[in-house]
Amino acid sequence: MAQPFPYTYYACDCYDGNNTSSTKRASQLLQEAEEEERTFDPRSPRANYSLYPLEHLLYCEDCQQVRCPRCIIEETLNWYCPSCLFEVPSSVVKSDGNRCTRSCFSCPLCTSNLQTYSLDQTGESAPPFILECQYCRWSSLEIGIEFEKGQGIAAQLARLGNGGKHIPTNKERDKERERRREVEMRKSRDLLSPSTESTNTDTERDDRPPSHDDLFSNLTAFYKSQVDTQTPSNPFSSHDINFSSPSAYSRIMNLYSTTGSKKNKRSKPSAMREAASSLEGLTIHDPISDAAAIERIKREGWGVTLSPAQKHAQINPNVRFTDEIRPLATLLCTKRSKRCRSCRQILTKPESKITSTRYKIKLLALNHIPRLSIRALNASPPTPVASRTAETFDYNALKPGIPAHFLLHLSNPLFDSIKVTLATPSTTPGKVHSRVTILCPQFDVGANTDIWDDALSSSLSPIKRGSVSEGPAQIEAGKIWDRGRNWTSVAVEIVPGFTNSQGSGSEEQELEEDEDVLEIPIFVRIEYETDAGADDRGLGDSRGSKGEKERREEAFWTVVGVGRIKGA
Amino acid sequence: MSRPSAKKVAAKGEYIETDSGNKVSRRSAITGTANITLGGRTVIMADVVLRGDLHSTRPTASNSGKEGTPTSISIGKCTVVSTSSVLKPPCRMSRGAPNFYPMKIGDNVFIGPNCVISAIAISSHVHIGANVTIHAFAVIKENVKILSNTVVPSAMVVAPGSVVGGRPARIVGEVGEGWGVSGGGAGGGLGVGGGGEEKWVEGGDLRELVRSIR
Repeated sequence: MAQPFPYTYYACDCYDGNNTSSTKRASQLLQEAEEEERTFDPRSPRANYSLYPLEHLLYCEDCQQVRCPRCIIEETLNWYCPSCLFEVPSSVVKSDGNRCTRSCFSCPLCTSNLQTYSLDQTGESAPPFILECQYCRWSSLEIGIEFEKGQGIAAQLARLGNGGKHIPTNKERDKERERRREVEMRKSRDLLSPSTESTNTDTERDDRPPSHDDLFSNLTAFYKSQVDTQTPSNPFSSHDINFSSPSAYSRIMNLYSTTGSKKNKRSKPSAMREAASSLEGLTIHDPISDAAAIERIKREGWGVTLSPAQKHAQINPNVRFTDEIRPLATLLCTKRSKRCRSCRQILTKPESKITSTRYKIKLLALNHIPRLSIRALNASPPTPVASRTAETFDYNALKPGIPAHFLLHLSNPLFDSIKVTLATPSTTPGKVHSRVTILCPQFDVGANTDIWDDALSSSLSPIKRGSVSEGPAQIEAGKIWDRGRNWTSVAVEIVPGFTNSQGSGSEEQELEEDEDVLEIPIFVRIEYETDAGADDRGLGDSRGSKGEKERREEAFWTVVGVGRIKGA
Repeated sequence: MSRPSAKKVAAKGEYIETDSGNKVSRRSAITGTANITLGGRTVIMADVVLRGDLHSTRPTASNSGKEGTPTSISIGKCTVVSTSSVLKPPCRMSRGAPNFYPMKIGDNVFIGPNCVISAIAISSHVHIGANVTIHAFAVIKENVKILSNTVVPSAMVVAPGSVVGGRPARIVGEVGEGWGVSGGGAGGGLGVGGGGEEKWVEGGDLRELVRSIR
């Protein structure tokens, strides 16, 4: 998600831990030592996967480390439909798939939600009903579908094909398959003993190619019969495998996949036959349908075809034209709890109720590591939000080559005062070299004490913005700019680099996308003393366990997006 | 809304402040003030249009005791409606006549500039970016972020904790667990906002923001 300037991302170092193999060679060790030395490069391709805004980071108190979405484990608590906000039991999800089974549908063309409307002219809600998209005005009439009832659209749609055709249920399909198989048996007998009465009423039905669902059910039936013939000795598998449920499929897939590893233990099963006819689910490529499709595109143009995204959203992958699409049942969402990947401690656990947005457990990085933010240091005092229309500083047009001053602001969520050391490479990595100087890289940030302490002591506080009254020219190296109860700000001088190469070198090199964004990697190291044994949440002082103090240290990379350098 | 105190009028500031702390810009265009309720500490910025006159025309004497003043727009506490946004209660044709439905907006909702909002309900801790259009009868649940320039189609339900964007709006992500949590208390000073210069965080408590507007 693109954030407006200025922004701060925090780097989680979890990906570094993954490549520590036990068999290290000297070159690898050397390389790792180099990695230690190397500064964080926000432009490296891997950086994309380790940078997160602070709001998305969690904190494991056992490991005393930040946890990013890549170093946590998610556990699904429950499923719900994001449109009707009803919880869907996991058993239903297993049997019916991860789509809403009520009346929630989204438009197959524009992904907006569909609404049920009555076509009745009297204004009463009476049949027939249709689904209509209020955004692009697509309606189910375009594929010839009307509903008899306003409720339970999903169940009705399952029986209705495009153009109002009837979709057979699984039982009907089974019957039809049996019937066809007999017809085919009879035909093959007829071939052996040729007679002229082979053309019967079934031929016109056979003209229509089997639909995707037909083929699928044929294939499942075929595989079921194959499995049955393979394992006649096992009394359970032949009966209780319900082939319409994904769990049964996964069991079958397990059977297939584990044959390699368990080859020694069990006798190798004889090879299964593959589907050989369309009755067994075999799809034979049909050049005639291709030619027909090409003819149709010639006749009606590209307008009748689907875009890749629309096609991809459809359940049937072979859909090509706009009259073949189906309304899409809304995909379900999940509520998830999160655990630390290394110590399995629960980091967040939301309340299981769908409508509730509260958490039972929530360990945020926000409450454990300082928040870093940057803003331009203007001659004018900090502007209230009311005048945000008259932007005082344009972060999207930093002037190259002209030094600009920014304020780096650190606020401390901990209940102990911290010692902060900041470090940054003097020139930013990437093609555009900007010079960065943190004027005061070492400073203290006060503890996050009661807000009233600040209010009471503010009149007595000796440090009250000594420099501002005399104007912004008074930025001094080695001195903090300003400080408050639990925050400190320091000045940063930035000389944005030249986006075109005339300033630095003569070689012609095209800037890639976002190369002109000024991002500064800043290494933050904090040191603090806290009560040993006390909870990290700062409950220690209330418990009064005095005496043993524990020194703690934390260090991490952040990336501060200052703005975009204006092209010269 | 109560009348502003005499002192405030004399000051002739940008905002008229009510007893409950609502700040309403003098340059806002509000119609049907009797049908609008503001929860307190709510900011209505300049050029905002609140269509309070579009209230339900159906007789609602049976279910509510107070007759004659149907509510058309109700806004909760610490909600900010930025400049040039339009809040218009949703309308549906019923029996040949247009009927308006009351719009409800929760607490700590930020509505960016140049938005057109016709949602039926917006829950608390919602952040709506600039130039967003929300069509009639959309429902925005808690802790939702709507990115700038989004068009939320009518009757869409945005589930809690989601980030939506695009035209038409679709769910593009989830807000982090830290959504609306200002770490270690809003520390004052230059700002602890989402890396920005604001004293508040998106989706968080907007009281600081409201206080800073004058």
